[in-house]
Amino acid sequence: MTDELRPADLETSPAPNPIWTRLSVIWLVPLVALAITLGIAWQSYADRGTLIEIDFADATGVRPGETVLKFREVEVGRVETVGFNPDLSSVRIGVRVNKEVAHFVDNEARFWLVRPQVSAQGISRLDTVLSGTFIEGYWDAESAGQQTLFQGLDKPPVTPDPTKGTWIELRAEDAGGLAEGAPVLFRGITVGRIQNLRLNDADSGVIVDAFIDSPHDRRLTTNTRFWDTSGISVSLSASGVSLDMRSLASLVQGGIEFDTFTTGGTFIQNGFPFRLYSTAEAARTSIFGAGLAEPARYTLLFDDAIEGLQRGSKVQFRGVEAGEITDLSIKVQTDSTGTRFAQQQVVIALSPERLGLARGTEQEIVNEFLATEVDSGLRARVAGVGLLGSTLVIELTDVPDVPPAVINRSAKPYPTLPTTDAKTNDLAASAEGVFKRIDALPIEELMASAIRTLDSISAVAESEDTRAVPGELAGLLEQLRTLTDGLNQRGASEKAVAALDGMTEAASTVMTEFEGLAETLASTDAAAQAVAEMPLGEIGNKIDGILADIRTMLGSEDAERLPRALSDTLEESAALLAELREGGAAEKINGTLLAAQDAATAIESASERLPDLTAKLESLVTTAERLVASYGERSAFNAEVLDTMREMRRATAAFGSLARMIERNPRAFILGR
Amino acid sequence: MGRNRAEVTIQTARDAGLVGCTRCGKVWPQQTHECGRCGATLKRVDNAGLQAVWAWWLAGLIFYIPANLYPMLRTSTLAGSQQNTIIGGVVELVTHHSYFVAAVVFVASVVIPVSKFIAIAYLALAVGNERRAGSHRHLHLFEVVEFIGRWSMVDVFVVAILSALVQLGAVVSIHPGPAAAAFALSVALTMLSAQSFDPRLIWRGPARTTGS
Ligand SMILES: [Zn+2]
Repeated sequence: MTDELRPADLETSPAPNPIWTRLSVIWLVPLVALAITLGIAWQSYADRGTLIEIDFADATGVRPGETVLKFREVEVGRVETVGFNPDLSSVRIGVRVNKEVAHFVDNEARFWLVRPQVSAQGISRLDTVLSGTFIEGYWDAESAGQQTLFQGLDKPPVTPDPTKGTWIELRAEDAGGLAEGAPVLFRGITVGRIQNLRLNDADSGVIVDAFIDSPHDRRLTTNTRFWDTSGISVSLSASGVSLDMRSLASLVQGGIEFDTFTTGGTFIQNGFPFRLYSTAEAARTSIFGAGLAEPARYTLLFDDAIEGLQRGSKVQFRGVEAGEITDLSIKVQTDSTGTRFAQQQVVIALSPERLGLARGTEQEIVNEFLATEVDSGLRARVAGVGLLGSTLVIELTDVPDVPPAVINRSAKPYPTLPTTDAKTNDLAASAEGVFKRIDALPIEELMASAIRTLDSISAVAESEDTRAVPGELAGLLEQLRTLTDGLNQRGASEKAVAALDGMTEAASTVMTEFEGLAETLASTDAAAQAVAEMPLGEIGNKIDGILADIRTMLGSEDAERLPRALSDTLEESAALLAELREGGAAEKINGTLLAAQDAATAIESASERLPDLTAKLESLVTTAERLVASYGERSAFNAEVLDTMREMRRATAAFGSLARMIERNPRAFILGR
Repeated sequence: MGRNRAEVTIQTARDAGLVGCTRCGKVWPQQTHECGRCGATLKRVDNAGLQAVWAWWLAGLIFYIPANLYPMLRTSTLAGSQQNTIIGGVVELVTHHSYFVAAVVFVASVVIPVSKFIAIAYLALAVGNERRAGSHRHLHLFEVVEFIGRWSMVDVFVVAILSALVQLGAVVSIHPGPAAAAFALSVALTMLSAQSFDPRLIWRGPARTTGS
């Protein structure tokens, strides 16, 4: 009974299979994939640029992910987001800027949107029509601290690189014909551009920035003067119509020209302010410097409305031009009884230099100076200057017997200078007055009387009596000679005295005759003078014709003979005098001779004045013709005026019809309506 | 170990102690290492194959992420350059009312890859799930995935052809973006994943997958 020993059954269980042994190497594949993907992700994260934000007024054509940022026409970034700033007042564009340039984008950086532009200078950035808007940026190579929020420019800057030239600031009364981007010319060559036309907050004028490219900016000094060359300037003067036009671009867009008329200025820095004059003439002659040393300003209050004063009208200080009118307005005041009344308020700017003070003198000191002058009678008043007295100026001059007055220094905005009534002997208080005066002229009567006068002159000249005068005189002198001969022979002094008496009388008569003629001529002269103001060539011709008659008359043989006969007589008389000296009749002879001489002088001067008169009348005709001609040329700019002028030309063909027209409506003749 | 199966019990090769050749289909006794007919190595059905499926699947999925985030195409025209991701391109096509092209691109680039990921994951998971095992539907699904796999590359082909053809200098030129490479990798890896899947696993219950 032996039990077969058998080993116990082995309890087997599969060896625990460690998880790593069951893992296949295949799992390396996703690990590698993950590594690669993460690597790429990390790289693109590390390489992505800096996000900057730029505020623009609008975002025309800007699309996230498409619009690019360019620096010198090379893409350096891309728009990522387009949103709004917190108060919705502008668009905030987020731009991812490449890492390589991002650190240069500092607070100096400027951004603007580039779009196609059509301007007077041509079409630019047409490529953006296809490529779409993009943002252009400009920054320098110095990194001065990164910044992430920028204010975009509203329009492309005149020049992206501000180091290649000089910025200046121009101040003018108004923008005139200027437009953004208009050229700045120097002797006709474009050397810069203007930008940022804006109103001057502090003053009533406008401010415009101008950028003068290097190296032309070296021509700018503190003495440089700028003026507006916008558009066409047409000036009408006695020499005709002159037309000045710089360039087509400046015609459309305006333009500014500068020049330095005087030396001695110093070079300028960026942002230097200059005055912008309206014309080259004004720039050259302005009494205010090119710079903007503030002139002293004063307010003048006039009770009467004054037509004809305008901005830029001159202010004279004791006859010397010392400033100009900068503003005109109406001020309503209330007097002690509560009645409201209007006063004309005129603001003048005075150059301290012209008052005899140092350049750039403070207003306070100028006030002091003028206060003492006012004490001694200085007043402001309106005065007319110029040929017709039609150009009005403000005159600061001593007026005698005026009630005492003082400068009101506390007046706002400027101290008030006391004023007085306009000069009484002014031919016209206003430009309107000139026309009124012309309107009121009794042209028809004047003409009629002029013609009557001339007719009577011709009548006198043609009359037998007048012609007889020289003959008589000659006869008289003949007699005198005979008498002298007789005296020579007989030496009778008493008889001679009597003869001289008679001769004196005769000479006086002649003189009177000729004095009358002289007077007539003088009045003709005056008539011509008056006619000179009328553009009436026809009348001139007529006068010319009449004058020719006078000339013919005076050029007649008899008249020519006169002076010769006289001198003969005088010679003879001189000889006689020598003999008579002992005879005691010296005084009488002397008187007689003087009378004779006077007569001769009168005749001579009378004949001398005739050519003058002729010339005057001739120039009158010329002036009248030119006036008519220039009106005709100017009418090309105004059809209405043209019509009127045609009317006038037709009218001038016949004096009578002209006179009737003027009679019917005198104003139409002058004003053209 | 009873098989709790409601359906008709299916006699598998493994149940019969056999191993089938994956190439020609002939069954051999389990210890056989080489198919006597076609010479292919006979592989036992086990979970190592499933691991490979998951590994390739995961790698494919990883690459599918950059494929969608990075631009597929870089188009430079006179009007500037433009880059589109897959979805971005589809959206743009829709905004241009090219609905058909948009649909084709969307189906080829999004629907198919995503359904492939889902289908493979589903199949691989279903292998461990007794209740779902042995379904003919799973086999059909697998066949569809395998068939469709090659067509997933249509996007990459389009990019490749466009890049090769559209090179007109400044006027217009097209370059593939980084997403194209990622997408191609993703498609290749999912194809590998699908190929690693042993369809015989479909017919196996979970209990025996651990082997014995
Ligand atoms: Zn085989």
